[in-house]
Amino acid sequence: MIRVAHVTKYRGRQAVLKDVSFEIPAGASLALIGPGGCGKTLLTKIIGGLVRPDQGEVWVDGQEITRLSEIELTRVRFKIGMLFQNYALFDFMDVGDNIAFPLRQEGKLDEEEIASQVEAILKEVDLPGIERLQVNELSGGMKRRVTFARAVIRRPPILVYDDPTAGLDPVTSSKIFILLDRLQRQGATTSITISHDLVGLRSICTKWAMLVAGEVVFFGTSEEIERSPTKVVRQFWMGESDEV
Amino acid sequence: MNGVLHRVGSSILSLSREVGGLAVLLGQITVRLFPPHLDGKETWRSFYKVGVKSTPIVVTTALLTGAIMAVQSSAFIEEWGAYGLLGWGAGFSIMREVGPILIGLMFSGRVGANNTAELGTMKVTEQIDALRTLAIDPISYLIMPRFVAMIVMLVLLTVIGDLFALVGAMIFADLMIDVSPQVFWHSLLEMTYLIDFLVGVIKAGFFGFAIALVSCHYGLKVTGGAVGVGRAVNNCVVASAIGIFFLDYLLTPLIDSAWAALFIRYG
Ligand SMILES: Nc1ncnc2c1ncn2[C@@H]1O[C@H](COP(=O)(O)OP(=O)(O)OP(=O)(O)O)[C@@H](O)[C@H]1O
Ligand SMILES: [Mg+2]
Repeated sequence: MIRVAHVTKYRGRQAVLKDVSFEIPAGASLALIGPGGCGKTLLTKIIGGLVRPDQGEVWVDGQEITRLSEIELTRVRFKIGMLFQNYALFDFMDVGDNIAFPLRQEGKLDEEEIASQVEAILKEVDLPGIERLQVNELSGGMKRRVTFARAVIRRPPILVYDDPTAGLDPVTSSKIFILLDRLQRQGATTSITISHDLVGLRSICTKWAMLVAGEVVFFGTSEEIERSPTKVVRQFWMGESDEV
Repeated sequence: MNGVLHRVGSSILSLSREVGGLAVLLGQITVRLFPPHLDGKETWRSFYKVGVKSTPIVVTTALLTGAIMAVQSSAFIEEWGAYGLLGWGAGFSIMREVGPILIGLMFSGRVGANNTAELGTMKVTEQIDALRTLAIDPISYLIMPRFVAMIVMLVLLTVIGDLFALVGAMIFADLMIDVSPQVFWHSLLEMTYLIDFLVGVIKAGFFGFAIALVSCHYGLKVTGGAVGVGRAVNNCVVASAIGIFFLDYLLTPLIDSAWAALFIRYG
């Protein structure tokens, strides 16, 4: 479903992603972990066709996307929903229009149907009735949930969540993970989730990839990562540091 | 010596980069004209923001500029007794040069700068990326409506501005040196021609086009947070002003000779 092959990306002369390769089968959910600044967000942007890699290939649903034009990419993008780490909400629209936007652009539903879908998804993320609030009136956690709603409202077959629970309280966090899990099962979606909440990730993800300084240091299943002999992986998993 | 060469070289390089960037954006826009598609809501929003919101300031500056032109020329008019030339003088200079240039510069400072800042902020807060992931082409959705709105509205605002500047000149001519409105309008209508008005309006259309291209270009290529947005706004205002004066020199003789050619042919 998603295949990343030998992806390398430079910032100036420095490689920020080095020969990254892995494959996510259809219907699987990948947890993408690693220390801050290791290139997780950048990798998801490359998979979403927002950034072109300097080397390597990215296959989404059987199509190689790194050489497609912006207009050809449009068709691929209908298959992908993305939740941005920095929210990226449209600040010239209110909350309701932000969430309705993907549906309106798709143009399949009438306004009444769109409004009821927006209402329903807001209820699911525990923010009922905030359609007419402006984006700048929301707290960080509220924005996070609104971006979540906007990312999933079209029910795309591929979902990329970049830190979906950052800044949320534990109860709301676990609700979001439950929601992720439900979407995963209902829609048979293929997903990539970036998070530092390992417990949450364990509840939904079947595959794990760990990046350190732009390199894949681990790729495998939950059982494999728990028993990984690699030091950086073990330390990250247990939350230990070198200095004692 | 080497340092100077290096500086000259790098400014030529960066100038070519900007010109190249403008050309690329123009190409992207042209491609999307076939078939043309405008998002209704976004276009409406642009028209409102660009046009309606600019009207008060344009009307005020135009009135005051017209007035000051009458005030400045009053001494000469009285000295030479050229009361019958004031309407023509004001009309000719306002419609041909002062109107389009002044309103163009104001427009670039208000609308162009605002557009760069808005697009730049959308770029650094990843809103443009968010549009792209939702399978929406930012050029069609964001840039096209702004382009149309800026061209149409600068033309309209120039017409409005011309009118109010003339009214300002007329009022002050009456107050300062007793040139009655009848004398003013008579001289204006007798001695200025349609082409004097058209030159200004056609130039305004091109100024609108230049401001739109420049402001969208600088907005879309912002990098580096708030500082980057500030720098882009700055560049946009400077480049728009250069563009306006450059086009003014280029277009005025062109339009005049085209009109003369038409006149000989059909007139
Ligand atoms: N378009 C780009 N081209 C080249 N390099 C980039 C690009 N975007 C980001 N980078 C670089 O990639 C590196 C990794 O950044 P990234 O945002 O992917 O980290 P991250 O793993 O998501 O970190 P965090 O956990 O803090 O969110 C950074 O050094 C950044 O400068
Ligand atoms: Mg990140």
